[in-house]
Parts: sequence; C-alpha cells; structure tokens
Amino acid sequence: MKRLTSLPTLRVDVGRPVPFVYKNQTGRGFKGDTIATALYAAGVRIFSRSLKYHRPRGLFSLDGESSNTMMTVNGVPNVRTETTLLAEGAMIRDQNAIFTARNDLLGFMDRLDRFMPAGFYYETMHKPASLWPVAAKMVRKAAGLGRIAPDFRFSGACDEMYPAADLCVIGGGPAGMEAALAAADQGLRVILLEARPWLGGSFDYRERGSGEDAPLYRQAADLASRVSTRAAIRVFTRTAMVGGYSDNLVTAVTEGGPDDPFDYRYLEMRPRAVVVATGSRERPLIFENNERPGVMLPDCALRLARTYGILAGREAVFSVGHDLGLEAALDLSELGLPVRAVADVRTKGHDPALVRGLADRRIPFYPGWAAAAVEGKKGVKSVRLASCDGGQYRILTCDLLAAAAGHTPAVEPLSLFCGPLAYDGQTGYFLPRTYPAGVFAAGRIYGLEAPQNIRISGRVAGLDAAAFCGADCRGAADAHRNELAALPMGRPASKWVAFPGPWRKHFVDFDEDVTGKHIRQAVGRGFGVPELIKRFTAAGTGPGQGGISGHNLPLLVAAIKNPSRDRTDIHGTVPAPTTVRPPLRPVFLAAYAGSGREMVKRTPVHDAQAWEGAVFRRVGVWHRARYFSADLDVSEEVDNVRTNVGMLDASTLGCFRIFGPDALSALQRVYAGDMSKIKDGRVKYAAMCNHDGCVIDDGVVIRIGENDYMFTTSTGRAGETVEWIRYHTRFDNWDFHLVNQTDGTGVINLAGPRARDVLERVTDADVSNQAFSFGCWKDFSLSGGIPVRCLRLGFVGELSFELNIPASYMQAAWDMLRKAGSGFGLRPFGVEAQNILRLEKGHVILGQESEQRTNLLDLNMGFLFSRDKDIRPVGADALLQAEKDAGRLTLVGIRMTDSSCVPPDGSILVDDQVVDPVIGYVGTIRKSRALDAVVGMALVERAWTAEGTRLAVYDGGGEPSERHDATVVRMPFYDPEGIRMRM
Amino acid sequence: MFGAKHILPKGNPPLESAYDAVLIGGGLHNLATAWFLAKEHNMNRVAVLEKNYIGYGGAGRNTAIVRANQRTQKNIPLYKEALDLWPVLTRELDFNLMFYNCGNLNLLHSEAAVKAARTNIATAKFLGVESHLLDAAETAKRVPALNLSQKITHPIHGAMYHPPGGIVRHDAVVWGLAKGAAEKGVHIHQQTEALGIATKNGRVTGVKTPAGTIYTPRVLVSAGGYTAGLLYHMLKIKMPISVLTIQAMVTQPLKPLLDHVVSSGAYHVYANQTLKGEIATGAHMDPWPNYTTQTTAGYIKHQAEALVELMPCLAGVKFMRSWAGLADMTPDMAPIMDGNDPVEGVYMNCGWGYFGFKSCSATGRYMARFLATGKCPDRLKPFALARFKNHRLMGETAALVNYTPDN
Repeated sequence: MKRLTSLPTLRVDVGRPVPFVYKNQTGRGFKGDTIATALYAAGVRIFSRSLKYHRPRGLFSLDGESSNTMMTVNGVPNVRTETTLLAEGAMIRDQNAIFTARNDLLGFMDRLDRFMPAGFYYETMHKPASLWPVAAKMVRKAAGLGRIAPDFRFSGACDEMYPAADLCVIGGGPAGMEAALAAADQGLRVILLEARPWLGGSFDYRERGSGEDAPLYRQAADLASRVSTRAAIRVFTRTAMVGGYSDNLVTAVTEGGPDDPFDYRYLEMRPRAVVVATGSRERPLIFENNERPGVMLPDCALRLARTYGILAGREAVFSVGHDLGLEAALDLSELGLPVRAVADVRTKGHDPALVRGLADRRIPFYPGWAAAAVEGKKGVKSVRLASCDGGQYRILTCDLLAAAAGHTPAVEPLSLFCGPLAYDGQTGYFLPRTYPAGVFAAGRIYGLEAPQNIRISGRVAGLDAAAFCGADCRGAADAHRNELAALPMGRPASKWVAFPGPWRKHFVDFDEDVTGKHIRQAVGRGFGVPELIKRFTAAGTGPGQGGISGHNLPLLVAAIKNPSRDRTDIHGTVPAPTTVRPPLRPVFLAAYAGSGREMVKRTPVHDAQAWEGAVFRRVGVWHRARYFSADLDVSEEVDNVRTNVGMLDASTLGCFRIFGPDALSALQRVYAGDMSKIKDGRVKYAAMCNHDGCVIDDGVVIRIGENDYMFTTSTGRAGETVEWIRYHTRFDNWDFHLVNQTDGTGVINLAGPRARDVLERVTDADVSNQAFSFGCWKDFSLSGGIPVRCLRLGFVGELSFELNIPASYMQAAWDMLRKAGSGFGLRPFGVEAQNILRLEKGHVILGQESEQRTNLLDLNMGFLFSRDKDIRPVGADALLQAEKDAGRLTLVGIRMTDSSCVPPDGSILVDDQVVDPVIGYVGTIRKSRALDAVVGMALVERAWTAEGTRLAVYDGGGEPSERHDATVVRMPFYDPEGIRMRM
Repeated sequence: MFGAKHILPKGNPPLESAYDAVLIGGGLHNLATAWFLAKEHNMNRVAVLEKNYIGYGGAGRNTAIVRANQRTQKNIPLYKEALDLWPVLTRELDFNLMFYNCGNLNLLHSEAAVKAARTNIATAKFLGVESHLLDAAETAKRVPALNLSQKITHPIHGAMYHPPGGIVRHDAVVWGLAKGAAEKGVHIHQQTEALGIATKNGRVTGVKTPAGTIYTPRVLVSAGGYTAGLLYHMLKIKMPISVLTIQAMVTQPLKPLLDHVVSSGAYHVYANQTLKGEIATGAHMDPWPNYTTQTTAGYIKHQAEALVELMPCLAGVKFMRSWAGLADMTPDMAPIMDGNDPVEGVYMNCGWGYFGFKSCSATGRYMARFLATGKCPDRLKPFALARFKNHRLMGETAALVNYTPDN
C-alpha cells in the first residue's frame, strides 16, 4: 500500500524502512510503525482468531483495548501488536488458529454458538461423570491464546527506576501537559507519563482547530516543546501507568526504544499529588458482527491515516455518536477515503460546522441512524444502517465500517486511586464518587471536548495539585475554574446502547467472545449485576481488561432489566461497572521482576570456605557451608572433630548487646529462665518462648558489665529479635538499648580434643582448663591484636572454643587458626557435620527436633524455666498449665534395632492399636560412627516415651505396613557424662 | 439442555419471621452447610444472610486449589472427605464444578523441607491418601518449565507430589450450592446484613436484620474474614484470629504449560493453570492485619521475581489482573469450628486462613450435622476454640512460625 507521505501529523519515517517476517514472507514497515500498522499497510486484515468461536479478528483500536491483534512475536506469545513498535527483523506469527488466522480450521466453532450459551460449561460435560476428565483436557487444549515453550528464555534487558517527584501527571495530552506546566510554574517537580511514543494525546493527529486557534496538532507540538524543555518536568513516553495504590503510589512500565539501554523499565514512585489526564476512548458500538475485520473505531481509522499514512479501506461507512466521529469522517474524506455515508445516533446536537462539511463533500448524513449489522465472512462486504426507531434501513457496500457509539472516559487509572465508579447522567460516563487527597483529574476524562476547555481544565488540575503541595496558587486555580465554568460545555456524545434483538452476534467483549445474548442469559439466570456477570460470562476478564466491554456492560444490563424504557435514557438504573484491577495493561513478568538480584548474606569467611570445597545452603537470609565434600557424606568431617579438631563458621548466629538500667528486666521478660542469676564470667544457656510456651529461640546470655549483656540467637531468629523484645516491653517504659551485632560479628567454633593446642598457638592468654573452664567466657587477643570474646561451650560434645570476632578480622583469624592447626589435623566442618555431632550429644536444633507447637517442657528443658522470677516471662502461664497436660508430643532419643537401617528424617512413628495411629515423628536420625548405631531424636506422644518402649517407624516410601523397629533410649548417646567437652 | 432455570435466585425470597437455622455469611461454607442441612437433615427452613452478593468474599477470591496433603492426622481426613465430595456434589447438584484432577506438586528447596514433606507424605499415605516424594529430575519431568539450576536463590531438591488434588472452579461451587440449596427451599437473602444476634438466658433467640428480627434457635456465623469481628461485636466472643490480606493474580491465557498445581514455600509462590489457560498465582500474605482487599505494588513484583526464577519461561508471559482477599489466620493455621459455647445455639466456623476453599464441602456437611443434632461430630472436636485457652495448638505447620508483633 502506498502511504500518505505529506501529512504534517505523520509519525512514521517513510525514508526508513524496517523489514519484518510474517508467515515466512518478508514485509516492510517504516520507522515509527507499530507491528499492527505495518501489517495493516502490508494488507493483513485478519490478525487473530477469537478464543471461543475462532472468529476472525482484525485491527479495531490502536491502544490495546482488546486481544484482536495479539500475535506471537519472536517466540513471545500474546504480544499486543497494536501498541508494540516494529523492530527490525521481527518474526511475527498468528496464534490460536489451526493453519493460519486467515484460514482457521476451527472457524466452524462460530456456528456452534447455540450450544455455548453463557456459562454453558457449568451445565454440560459433567454427565456422565466419566465424560468430564476427557472434556477438561479438550477445554484446556482449546483455551489459551499463545503458546510459550518451557525452555523459552526472555532475552530483553529489564531495568527499574524509583524516581521522586511532587506531582505525577498521567497522560501527556493537552490537559496533562497544561497541568504539568502549571504545576512546574509553581515550583513543583513533575513527572509526566505518556503511554504513546509522543506527547499530544488527541490533539496530535487532528488538523482542525477551534475557531481562530492554530490546528490542534500544532498546539500539541507547541505544548510538547514547552514541556520537554522544562527542567522541572521529566517526561516519560512509551510509559504506561499500570498500577495505582494507596497514598499515591504509582507504577508504570516503559517500553524501551531503539536508543534505550533497556527493553522494559519498571517505574515506581510516590508523588505527593497525582493528576490523571488520560482522556477518553471511543465506546464500541454494539451491532451484529460488530467485530468483523474491517470494522474499527473511527479514531483508529483517523489515526491510521494521520499518524501512519494508511488509508484503512477503499470505501467507508461511518456510524458514530459523537462529534469526533463526524470529524474523523470528514477528515478522512478530505484525505482521499471515499465515505459513502455517515450515520449518527444523535438526532440533534451535532457540530454544525462538521455537518456542513459533510454536506459540502456530498456525503450522505443520517442523523438518528446507526449501524445494525455488517455482512461478510472474513471482512466487511456491506453494512446495514437503520434508523434508531427501527423504521427504515439501507444497505451500503463498503470494506470499512468506522463505528462507535460515543465516548468512554479512560477512567481506569483514576479508578485505581478513587475506588468505585458511578454513572454520571450528564456525560453518560462512569466517574469516581470521591477523590482521595492529592488526586486530581483533567480533560476529556470529564467529558470536555472543546480544545480550549480541555486545556484550561489541565491548568486547573495542575494548580490544584500545586496548591495541595503547598504552593500559594488557590486564587489562580479558582480563576481558571471560573473561566472554564463560563465557557460553553461541549456537545455530549450519545448514550445509545443497541437496537433491540436477540444480540446473538453482537459482541460486548471480544476477548472472551461474550455477546449481548450471553449478557441477557446471565441476567435471566439471576446474575443481576456486572460484577457477577463478569464471573459468569467472563466478560472483561481477558487481556483487554474490559477495554471493550467496560462501559457497555452496565448499560446493557440496565437496558435488559428495563426493556420498556427509552433505550437512550436509562439514567438512574445503570449499575456500577466492574472493579478495575491492576495492572491496567498486561505487563511482562520480566518487567516486574527487573534485574533479578538474589538477596543473600555471606559470612566474612564465605570465600575461604568456598576454596576448601564447601557446598553452601541457604539458611534464612544466609548462605552457610553445609558440606565440605561433594558426595555430601560428612563422615570425615565428623571423625576429625571427634579425634582431632575442626572449625565451624557460625557467624550467622544472632549476636546482640542489650544495656541500660532496665536491660535485665527486658531479658527477664523474654527469657524463660532467671537472668538475674547469671554469674560473672559464666555463660547461661537460655530459651525464649511465645505465649503458648512454645520455644521460639535458644542461645546463650552473658553479663559483660553493669547493666550490660550479650546474648545470641539462632540464625533464623536474629531478624525478629529486636522487634520481639520491643513488642513485649512496649507498655513498660523501660530504659534500655538493644543492638543487633550479628552482621558485625563473626564466629568460629574451634572444636575437638586438639582445640586447645591450636588456640594456644595463636594467643598468649591462658586458655588452660584451670584458667578457663567449661561454661565460662573470656575476652582476649589473638596474635596481632585481634580481639576475641571466647565462650567455652559444648554443642558438638567436644572441647570447644567459640570465638566471637569482629567481622573485619574474621578472615585474618580464620587464616591464622588454619595455619596454626595444620599440625593438629585441623579442617573446617560444615553444618551437616555439626548436625550429626550435636545429635550424638542429644542437643536440640529448634525446628529440627521441635515444631511450632513444641514447648519447653516437651523438649525436656523444663530446667530452663524459672517459676519464681519477679517478672513473669512470656509463656510462663502456658508452661505452668502444660505441666499438668499429659497429651503432648515429647522429645525422646531412639535407636534403630537394625543398625544398617537409617530411615529418613521426618519418618513417622505409628501404632495401629490406638485411635490416632500416628504417634509421633522422627526429627533427625543418623548413623553414628562414634556409637556404631543409628540414633535419632523424635517427638512422640507422652505414653510412648518410657525408656525401652518399642516404636514402629514408617518412612512413607513403601506400603504403610512396611515398618522399621526402634527403641526409646536415654540421651545423650555420646559421652553421657560430658567429660569430653569439659577437658 | 439449557433450561432458563435460575442459578441464582432472582431477587430475594420473602424474609420470614422465623427459621430453623440462620446462617450468617453467603460464602462457600454456609452455602454448603445449607445444602447439607436441607439434603441430609431435612431442615429446609434455613436462611442464609449475605450482606453483599453470595460468593463476594473469599469464595470468589481464592485460587481454586484443592488437596488433602495436610500435615496432621486430625486434618487430613477432613480434607480427604472434601476432595472426595467434588464429583459427588457435581452429580447431586447437577452442576459442573469442573474439578480438574491434575495433582499438586509442592516443591522442596532444602534438606529441611524434604524432611518436613516426609512427615506429610508418610502421614498421608498411612491414612490412605496418595502422596509421593519426587527427586529434582522427576519433578522437572512433570513440570518441564522448572529451573533445575543450583544457582538460583532456592535450588529445587524435589517435590511432594499429591495426585488426588487439583483445581475446582470456585464460582461454580458457589452457584451450584446456591442453586441446590434454593431448590430445596433454603432462603438465600442477598444484600441483607445481619446486624446482631439476640440471646436470652445464654441461648440464641434470633438474628437482627434491617427488616426486623428473625427468630431462630440456631445461628451459624461463618463469614470468612469478618467472622471474628462479628462474633466479638455481636456476642463479645474473642477469637484468636488475625485478618490479613492475601493477593493473587493471573497471567494472560496460554496454551497448556503447567500440568499440575505447583507451589513453593521457599519462594512463597504457587501457580496453576486454569482451564481457560491463565496462570493463576499467589502465595504469602501481607504481613500486617488489614481488612481491605487492596493490592500492593510490591507484591506483584515479588510474585514476578519468584516465578521468573522458578520458571524462567514465564518472563515472557504477562500479568493481566491482580486482586486480594482476606485470610483469617489462627495461631496454629487450623480453623475454629465450634458451637453451643459460650452461647447455646450459636455456632461458628472460621479461622480457615487460606484453606477455606478446599475444605468447604466436607466442613459444610459436618457443620450441618452439628447444627441438626446439636452434638459436635467427632471429626470437628479437635477444632474447638478452647484449644487456644489450653495452649494446645494443632501442629498444622511444621516450621517454627517467625512470630512478629503482627501475628
């Protein structure tokens, strides 16, 4: 097709061809084309097949209101080709058709509509019952639009941006630009979002002006240049607002252009004020076959010509209900498109200049008429125009029908901020009932059509927003408001719904193939409001997100429920439209996901361990070394700790300091034990419980000075601890400070019979058992002056020194110990080796041997609970009550009868003789080389806890009858007297 | 084949002055209870009061997943019965509930998760519910889109595979139960708010509505996230329930990609493909108590990050709609079903969190029995409110809950 090349409004560069491939054939568009406009210019009329009926669908709109032009591009399904810029070499394919969209073997589905009334699937396909599983498979195959390969990889670059601004203006048309300029004049920092690649909105492609003024496109260009050169205004084009949330949070997505370093960019901002100036769209006209390829919105036909240089047909008929429709007909006629007739559902109130223009060009004008049907299978062959009273009709041949019933405001962004919409009888629009503070609107969204009014309303909104942000401009805003009020209102668009009839092929929603008949059926079956009809018919749930059906659905409902009323006057009976939900435009998950950084903490000696072959696992926010061998068999690590010495990086444990006059009171509140009894130089093992007495954390507490304590928490609890303590002391007004030192503190647990030998080589401090015995702590220095706080603990059951080291010294300390230990067989060990070592000692790891409902008593740790503290600790009441409760899961040690049988962790314990046969489960169980036995810890009902009780273990692998025998045994399994850790 | 019979009652039936039972809340649990009261106990002078429209709360906002692979022996049988009821209800209601039996895969991302799954699997199998442990390769065979790389935040170790589960069309359940109950004479009053519960001498006498008091000897309050508030305001009964917003979203429809419901605790994400082809996905709750159903910007972003890492091909798919509902969370993630305590004739069924959909069929049946006989069925006894007073939690979650001031 030859393009119109001399138009001042043109946005394609006909000197810059862009090649593409469609159905294995090379085509050519131009720079500035969308994929859809390039295909249209190349003669493509059928872009896709519809979801249910496989009806041919074509270019209907240019802003993505429906799924009509969704295609697969470069392997990505469901690309909205009408809003996606054509990129060089794009590979474009049809979707949802067998063979091609033009010749779809499933086209016969369209004739089966009688068998597919609204919600038919709820009342069919379930009898007989054996039918449904087969039918469900078929439904699945038939449904869905595009296809994505499981191994598809998104190749684009995705960026994120979190800009700051006082005001965000959504919509870069004349009203939005005026608002931005007015606000910038008052000193506001403004962000202006525009979904199209250029500013200008509805002015951009219109030649006509109003009276003496410059043509609209020139007014748009003038505004755009003023906006673009203002430093206080940041303009984002190709940026569609997709989300609006409480307190003015705005999200948007920019589609990158050829010069951008990204393909998609996610924007999120919280401006102080928002102006929504998203204008209006055309409201689709409902008639028979109203979505045939060849039927499009008048604005779409006009923009195809004015913006892209494409005359959409050879011969056109217009059926409109608004002055812009008349303007489009006249303008296109002047550009060379033969217009056979223009129908307008309005009987009066047309712009006389436009009517005169049509007469001058001898275009027959039918006021009070509308399109009733089009003929043609794969395109428009003829159209039937009828008078709105139904008395007369006329059939005209044409290949293009530009049809719209009137306007519908692009109110979705506003609705996200303002909540439910209500019908406004004056404009026939659905508008917000209330506006939250700081949210304003302007322009055609309010039904303003005269260019002057649009521009002034933009200024009013910009000044209102500035005043909201504190600028002294309320007077100026009011002056413009009064000026606007004095101007004549525009001529309203029609509120026409549809000719009466069965509406069998009258499509209300294109994406889901919902017709007027379906809506009638839904209403007839008791679904009386749009929100329910949406669920029953799926209208508005497709990719167009109600872009086609949003306005018409409630109108149809009103018309169906009030059949006797004048079809153009249903004011007062129109129900609210369905709720608008973000994202307003479909957004690639890639764009939301952004750059995809993994958020993880590494300990100061992460790399050192990696060099030694550590296999890391994520534990909460951390990466921890779990194994030091690839085959995950850690017996060498375990043996080395038992016979020589090992070192474990325990830096992830929570480390806190609490100090101040009431520090002890706070500790007494959250720890179950009595913290006033901590002896100087001694370490106290302690546990925190919740209100149910259930253990949430354990660790050690030491007193490091007057009203000054250090305590540790488990890795997983470190993040919550500060808030936990604050929460439980919130009414006490206690004076204490709490510092989370976890990230600043590294911990090395040096453990094994040779641990002291190693430590003595790196410190001058006396670490002999006499000077520094088990259960004590001490501050000293390693050589070179590295300060350490050393705790003598016995988690793994051997002589061990837990060295707390400033994180910045960790690497040095690690290397020093590593070197000092080389003669003693020192090697690092990981968390799994620790797991086995501590299991042999019967030491519990919370979450492994306990669960959410396990309390301190259940873990046989009642000794950590002090009942005679002055301060009742959190959980005390529950623990006192639980002392009398016999029906709880309790921790026991178990030994497998067969020492070659190691059931997996989590296996259950069963007894068929009782009503509730699952009597417990295994927390951790391992083959112990030190003991030459398989031992573990399990939670089991009280009645099975006596030493020597036989237990049946079921691992869930085979049949439930396949059990393994185990016996309850005393703990600790290893070194029960604890001699080795006291060496 | 397509009679013009109503599915939903067109307009409300007359509000009578007395009913045998009044159910407050027009969601799935009460509609199911009404259906079973009428069907199995011949009690059809029953009113369901719904402030808005039936199915407007959690019933219409969930992601339609059904399964019976819970953790404890107190829970599993209830969910199993619920699962077994879908085909039965489809037949009895003569309404296609579209139970799509695709099976559920719970992905496991650590040794600890495998251990926790082992307990669930063994318990389920021991109680006759099919459930298997899959390794990573077997898992990927079932869902080829999964990312088996070790270099992701939470590498996949395997999965708990539960073939009996799947998805059910949630709206269909609402409409089917409403249609069935109404046909049996139950009065469904939409746009009718319960304003209060009248009692005398510790017994319920009626329910106050804008149209006057309805006299009834039995009231069941089961209004999803609002139940705890209603019980407190009407009867000063305190419930240990936090109401949190839970969000969900769908992608544009695709040809079949996911053949199972896939969920991941570590990534806080689950996804299933609806029969229409959309990937429906959601997971964790907003961490602050909240009665709004507002969505948040951070959540949809989180969801995308998680899904793209788990199933990289989804990067090329688009989200098209998000929404939110309320989850009424109890401290032990198990519901509260109780009655005649502290007020004779007042029953409650709440605290389902995000398990309300998958349990509704069986729960409705038991609650109906409870109301009809006045005696608590054995199956429901563990779910009594008193367990919280006695510090006896149900143990439905294995992991330690990271308690924060918000829960």
